[in-house]
Amino acid sequence: MTETLSVGALAGAPTAGPALAARTRGLRKVYRTAVAVDQVDLDVPQGAVMGMLGPNGSGKTTTIRMLLGLVRPTEGEVELLGHRMPEGAPRALPEVGALVEGPGFHPFLSGRENLRRVASAEPRLASAGIPRAVENALERVGLGHAAHRRYRGYSLGMKQRLGLASALLVPRRMVVLDEPTNGLDPAGTREIRNIIADLHAEGVTVLVSSHLLAEVEATCTHVAVLHDGTVVAQGELDELLESGTPALIVSTPDGDQALTALRDNRIAGRLTPEGVRADLAAATAPQVIEALVRSGVAVHEAKRARTGLEDLFARLTQRDSETDGLPDVDEGAA
Amino acid sequence: MTATLDVTPVERWSVPFHRLYRAELRWIFRRPRTLIVLGLLALIPVIIGIGLTIAANNEGPGQGGGGGGDSLLPAAAGNALVLPLATLGVTLNLMLPLITAMSAGDALAGESSVGTLRGLLLAPVSRGRLLLMKALGVATFTLAAAVLIAVVAMLTGLVINGTGSLFTLSGNTLSFVDALGRVALAAVWVTLQLWAVGAIALAISACTEHPMLVVVSVLAGTVVSTVLLLLSAVDWLHPFLLPRSWTAIADILRDPIPADQLSEGAIRAVCYIVIGLSLAYAKLSTKDG
Repeated sequence: MTETLSVGALAGAPTAGPALAARTRGLRKVYRTAVAVDQVDLDVPQGAVMGMLGPNGSGKTTTIRMLLGLVRPTEGEVELLGHRMPEGAPRALPEVGALVEGPGFHPFLSGRENLRRVASAEPRLASAGIPRAVENALERVGLGHAAHRRYRGYSLGMKQRLGLASALLVPRRMVVLDEPTNGLDPAGTREIRNIIADLHAEGVTVLVSSHLLAEVEATCTHVAVLHDGTVVAQGELDELLESGTPALIVSTPDGDQALTALRDNRIAGRLTPEGVRADLAAATAPQVIEALVRSGVAVHEAKRARTGLEDLFARLTQRDSETDGLPDVDEGAA
Repeated sequence: MTATLDVTPVERWSVPFHRLYRAELRWIFRRPRTLIVLGLLALIPVIIGIGLTIAANNEGPGQGGGGGGDSLLPAAAGNALVLPLATLGVTLNLMLPLITAMSAGDALAGESSVGTLRGLLLAPVSRGRLLLMKALGVATFTLAAAVLIAVVAMLTGLVINGTGSLFTLSGNTLSFVDALGRVALAAVWVTLQLWAVGAIALAISACTEHPMLVVVSVLAGTVVSTVLLLLSAVDWLHPFLLPRSWTAIADILRDPIPADQLSEGAIRAVCYIVIGLSLAYAKLSTKDG
């Protein structure tokens, strides 16, 4: 097993106290002979937007299902909003909104009727408040105009929105979204991001799984990277991104001249599509720019390079697949 | 964008059960399939009534009809009391168990296949309450089906034969109220048998995601049981087979009502219900959602 890259205040703190909305320890799930999830220690800080990142079959959905008490772990423990799962489900789940494994609704009912049915099972909704809560949720996801239509005729994006609406029927302390932007067009994806941002602003903890890196990078404060059923990295997004070598990207029309100038000043650099990438391990940003300007290189723009989430992801997941790795398991295999 | 804040949450951890039950009934009886099945069921007594009358007119009383090996059918011609029981008896052999299985199949397997069972578990509805809600839903639907058949058959009989035709098989004429009581007793007894089928069907339904599998299993179980009941070589098995007492429904039309077979059938049904629901709970409580 590869060591887990962990940064920030959460590193190596098994008793992190009340600041965690969800916590797993040594989580393991075995379906017949296939290991879906192994040794998952996940910490979701309260008020965070945590992105769960991983390729298909990396155990994201299985972990979420155990977190929500839908699946009993083979080993390990799960805590959700301070309650042990799955036993604490009656206490924890009323305050958790979830969209897991795609939206599930009845095709013969309208969107509104489907939501009413879900709403009638929500403990924290008063019976008299159901119609209002349903309309509010429909408006919030932009489905008000299609609420009377049968679910059967909904587009993929509308189905996804209805699923989101059911997670937002009641004000929650935590919202769990499994691949929420599946099937959404760019406008829809942006709306989901806005909703997540609103939830974050309200202080709601959000756990969102995705295999779309840009989506996670744009919406999350924290990130957990899963690969082959284990967490290979987790922590605050900014810190994770900066854990690589710092670099400065300089855009200039004189690429070769810039490289020569850098070499003369013993600064490592290379040409990238974005511009000249100067390594900041041995020099500071002002030193790099000074060196370039002195050699007559036209500097149009200089910015600090962040290790893209994509780089980080590639680094974390490749390292693992080169070694052993667990057999690939289809998510949700029963 | 903070619209959901308008709804003040209630501080409680579970929904009042009657709300779940009402939502379940709404779901069952809004389903086009349910309405179509009930509509078709209502046609059966009308068709049997009309068919028997035509046959009786052609062949003379007591000769017409037949079919399904049910001895009641010929007697139903010209008798407004026998028609409801004969129809219940005929449909109990196959039709009613099938629609019970359909309803139980939709209840868990069907919900599981479209992903809505997960939604209920996440609400959360505890697994025990979920089973109770589903069992009551199936029970209500089967009760509705049996009562519908009885009422339509009674009306058909009265329209065709008038209120003066309420004889028992023993030859006594009953008052309208007494006749209504006998029909109600038959409907309740049939419903109890259907609940037994429904409990087993729910147990199967908890194990699969395919509602069709539930229907096929119940169909196979009913047919195999009926065949086994014809084989004297396995008569040690007969007391355990639910359809054994299904022909006893005719006893309700005798004076006085011979209760032994009817009550044996009722006890057998209760045993099936207990076993079926226990199995369903055992499966549902450990099922991955």
